[in-house]
Amino acid sequence: MGEVIVITSGKGGVGKTTTTANIGTGFSLEGKSTVLVDADIGLRNLDVVMGLENRIVYDLVDVVDGVCRLRQALIKDKRYSNLYLLPAAQTKDKNAVTPQQMQELTSELAKEFDYVIVDCPAGIEQGFKNAIAGANKAIVVTTPEVSAVRDADRIIGLLEANGLRNPQLVINRLRVDMVKRGDMMNIDDMIDILAIELLGVVPDDEHIIVSTNRGEPAVTNNDSIAGQAYRNIVKRILGEDVPFMNLESDQGFMSKLAKMFGFGKKK
Amino acid sequence: MRYVKGTKEGLYILIKEDMDLDKIKDNLKDKIKPSKRFFEGAKIVNFKGKKLTREEFDELKDLVENDYGMSVLGDYTQDTDLLSDKEEAKENTAYEKLPYDNVIQDKVLMVRATVRSGQLIEYNGNIVIIGDVNPGAQIKATGSIVVMGTMRGVAHAGSNGDYGAFVSALNLLPAQIRIGDIITRSPDGLGIRTSVPEMAVVKRGLILVEPYLPNR
Ligand SMILES: Nc1ncnc2c1ncn2[C@@H]1O[C@H](COP(=O)(O)OP(=O)(O)OP(=O)(O)O)[C@@H](O)[C@H]1O
Ligand SMILES: [Mg+2]
Repeated sequence: MGEVIVITSGKGGVGKTTTTANIGTGFSLEGKSTVLVDADIGLRNLDVVMGLENRIVYDLVDVVDGVCRLRQALIKDKRYSNLYLLPAAQTKDKNAVTPQQMQELTSELAKEFDYVIVDCPAGIEQGFKNAIAGANKAIVVTTPEVSAVRDADRIIGLLEANGLRNPQLVINRLRVDMVKRGDMMNIDDMIDILAIELLGVVPDDEHIIVSTNRGEPAVTNNDSIAGQAYRNIVKRILGEDVPFMNLESDQGFMSKLAKMFGFGKKK
Repeated sequence: MRYVKGTKEGLYILIKEDMDLDKIKDNLKDKIKPSKRFFEGAKIVNFKGKKLTREEFDELKDLVENDYGMSVLGDYTQDTDLLSDKEEAKENTAYEKLPYDNVIQDKVLMVRATVRSGQLIEYNGNIVIIGDVNPGAQIKATGSIVVMGTMRGVAHAGSNGDYGAFVSALNLLPAQIRIGDIITRSPDGLGIRTSVPEMAVVKRGLILVEPYLPNR
């Protein structure tokens, strides 16, 4: 039985889809069979980020409605044979499926794949409830901004209320230059408030934008520092003890990362 | 009626005089099973309240040890007196003899958690949070509020109009404090961070925040 991981955030635009694409592709690079599920019905993106938009015939709502079989809707990645995408419908909305249906769908997928990664829409309404319905693990994405951290906190509370305990945190779009100047929200403060395990810090990296436009997740690019961060995150999920990366040679920041790493270990 | 009682000597299982063995077993099942995790490993000094036969004692000891994971330390004895009424009464009134002005003897809700944005904890009595209260969370008590962590949310103490209620925290950085119908909010901008435990009380119609450990 595979693991169903939901990638969520509360606030929009913080990097859920980017994280889903990169972690998912990262798993397949590690030899794990993986399927990405786009639960952002009506605002689908994951297909574009994966460069698979032109191959969509059926989508998630078609499967739920019985228009096609699950197998028919799965799109095989162009590079990796163990990586698949179940795209969202674009012409429907979040109410087109129920949490119960999502749960059945993801458990069906978990029978065949090592990892089922669900890209959650922003917000806390129906789309969120659908996306978390079948998950047995959650990753919360935030950026180093007060409003994003606030929403992440709300989401962690809702996840816990729905039985998804111990979610893990990805801090995305960290700007090393701003951290050095002291202009960016302190990572220690974020961990202090959210009080969950840190899975990784992804720097702000223009490779992400380039790779998104090309439909090739940065995790496959050895020159991308964000790609490296995502490779490390994947290894940590797989249980490897990967030290936090040296994002530039700022001493203060490094010692902070060391501290966070200590925090990240199970007490 | 309590079924397990802590005394100076340790824990006792209390048995009513008029219960037969089956009833006792049923009662144990009802009362101990749901809190099995709590009682597991507990050391029981003895049974109290009913004179047991040796067979009954052995059977109960066996049940408590094997089914509920506790251990009974004492041996079979005929002396099964409950605490005398006098002793019981003494325990309950001990607080009255304390030489302090500010003793609260009222219901308390204790929550061991991080209280997060969007969550509300409301209680008819006092609230103790063992953990942090995050921005966007709200704690509302008819009595006082104690946060054994950082208070960053909204605290409403004395919500029925009790100006004697207080809000205290190891690190008191609330967005807003209300006591009764008096409201105060944190200063705009990044407030000053003190790291001493503080307490908000009503004085002369205003909410004042001050350290409650004078020597720190
Ligand atoms: N580490 C990064 N460095 C630079 N740009 C990034 C990074 N992460 C995400 N972005 C950019 O931020 C934008 C939003 O990212 P993304 O679509 O992944 O967010 P989302 O949380 O899925 O948004 P939505 O809530 O709308 O679904 C995209 O344009 C993406 O390229
Ligand atoms: Mg998205």
